[in-house]
Amino acid sequence: MRLPDIGPFRPGFWRSPLRGPWLASILSAALLPLVAVCALTGFASHFAYDTDLGRNAVWGGSAPGNGFDLYGLDWPAEPAWLYAVTQGLHVITGVAAIPVLLAKLWTVIPKLFENPPVLSPAHALERLSLVLLVGGSLFVFSTGVVNIQLWYPFGFSFVPAHYYGAVVMLAALVLHIGLKLPVMRASFRRSGVARPLRDDLDHTEAEPEMPRVVTSAPRSPAAPTLTRRALLAGVGATSAGLAVMTTGQVAGGPLAELAVLAPRGRGRGDGPNDFPVNKTFSAVNIPREKVGPDWRLLLHTTDERRAELTRDELLAMEQVTAELPIACVEGWSTTQTWTGVALHDLARIAGTADARQVEARSVQPRGVLRKATLNRGQLTHPEAMLALKVNGADLSLDHGYPARIIVPALPGVHCTKWVGKLVFS
Amino acid sequence: MASRFRDRYGAGPVHLLAIVATFVVAAYALERALELTSSPDRILIWLGGSIVAHDLLLFPTYALFGVVAAGILVPADRRDRVRIAALNHLRAPALVSGLMLLVWYPLVAGPADRGFIRLTGLSKDVYLERWALLSLALFACSGVIFALRLPRLRRAASRRSDGSARASCGSGSASSPPCP
Repeated sequence: MRLPDIGPFRPGFWRSPLRGPWLASILSAALLPLVAVCALTGFASHFAYDTDLGRNAVWGGSAPGNGFDLYGLDWPAEPAWLYAVTQGLHVITGVAAIPVLLAKLWTVIPKLFENPPVLSPAHALERLSLVLLVGGSLFVFSTGVVNIQLWYPFGFSFVPAHYYGAVVMLAALVLHIGLKLPVMRASFRRSGVARPLRDDLDHTEAEPEMPRVVTSAPRSPAAPTLTRRALLAGVGATSAGLAVMTTGQVAGGPLAELAVLAPRGRGRGDGPNDFPVNKTFSAVNIPREKVGPDWRLLLHTTDERRAELTRDELLAMEQVTAELPIACVEGWSTTQTWTGVALHDLARIAGTADARQVEARSVQPRGVLRKATLNRGQLTHPEAMLALKVNGADLSLDHGYPARIIVPALPGVHCTKWVGKLVFS
Repeated sequence: MASRFRDRYGAGPVHLLAIVATFVVAAYALERALELTSSPDRILIWLGGSIVAHDLLLFPTYALFGVVAAGILVPADRRDRVRIAALNHLRAPALVSGLMLLVWYPLVAGPADRGFIRLTGLSKDVYLERWALLSLALFACSGVIFALRLPRLRRAASRRSDGSARASCGSGSASSPPCP
């Protein structure tokens, strides 16, 4: 059944000569690796939270149906840059994919107004699956990109929605690849993978129709004002530019200067504590006296208190110093030189040298991430510490004074600040 | 049997199986997302809203800008290289600037500065200025490059119109212009 030939449903409405299966295919070929890296590193981040330990799960606990777990496998503490790289890649590839995704949607949008809208039950179901693909993609990318800018207008819990939204998108994407691979192969065989890139304006023509396939190529194309290579160069340059800005807040160094529009690419000054803060002291409502001279570190086992240490006593113990990154789930990281007491030394003082895990609790009164449980590998790593100093100076209140957890490759939100208690078990 | 299925359904049985499997996985994931949040209705609004926002708002808006710009700079009866280049020297910085605004919208133009300051200890008022300066620089660079290309574009355009006049002249038909 045809719809009336009006507006975008009219066959001659869509006129750009650039649209067609080749352009859609080449954009998909660029998009696929970005989405693949973004998805894998996203699942890696869930893995890095070790949600089966203690109360680490941000949502739903460790029961089935709360994310896909690799039971029995712990997130490693080596190499130290692991989470900075995986989560950095997650955010960089995610941001870089946005221009390519929008270009792809621009290319295929005439198919939204296909007329007749339904050719067969198979065609109808296929179009329904595209609602999941397009809706899922827009949902995942939009929630992710506003979340890294600390803007939460959506009013639902970000983590499970972003996670399971991605599962919806990926399921629809696998189907889409399976259904469209023949079209991609046919169009690359017909036009060559890169041959249309060589066409200058005089040779830029609309793609011919394909047998038995409705494509986005126009029926009555306008004269070209742009070559396909110029369009792709523009999209690619924008994508690369966004990637460089985002990389600046992961890699630091000279690249940080390029992070002009990235949320965490800004220096704060030259002092030892002048690096980015995830949550400031004033944002978490800790009463001053809880981090004053009366502060004590309590060492517990699951059933009793084993020791109580002042900050001076901690400073008098053997100190470890290590240059380690804190890497935030929002995709930025910063490498600093930390000094403090090794966690395995504190385990020995608590009389639990063979502890399998430790829960670090903050004096912070509220917030799901005020405590985190570390696995055995993290607890026993020689550079895993309760840090007291950074770059030779006392931690600032914003960075967790009197003491904070620093462990190689641990997600930043698990590097608990304002630690008041360690519970070994 | 198989061909009757194909006639009715429009594709082979594997197609149907793959689609059903996808819908099952997606339904499960959607159920989990709705189950794990305090406001499931907002997820559905965001999901549907993002499609509407792109297909019926973002796309028509930028497409309209594109059509209007092309209509003004390259009208159908005056399609020459200089005009097409001018259009593209406007399109390129507009693309980069527009996408930067879209991606970093919350930083550049979004509301709720208070939460940002409270969490990071930094104000975000620098971003609007940075985006505006970057955009200005992009448009300016593109304009300068266009100005530098202009003499060559003009020469090419005039050669081309000579060439097309020569090619279409004297072809024997009565309506073709006389050769110079």
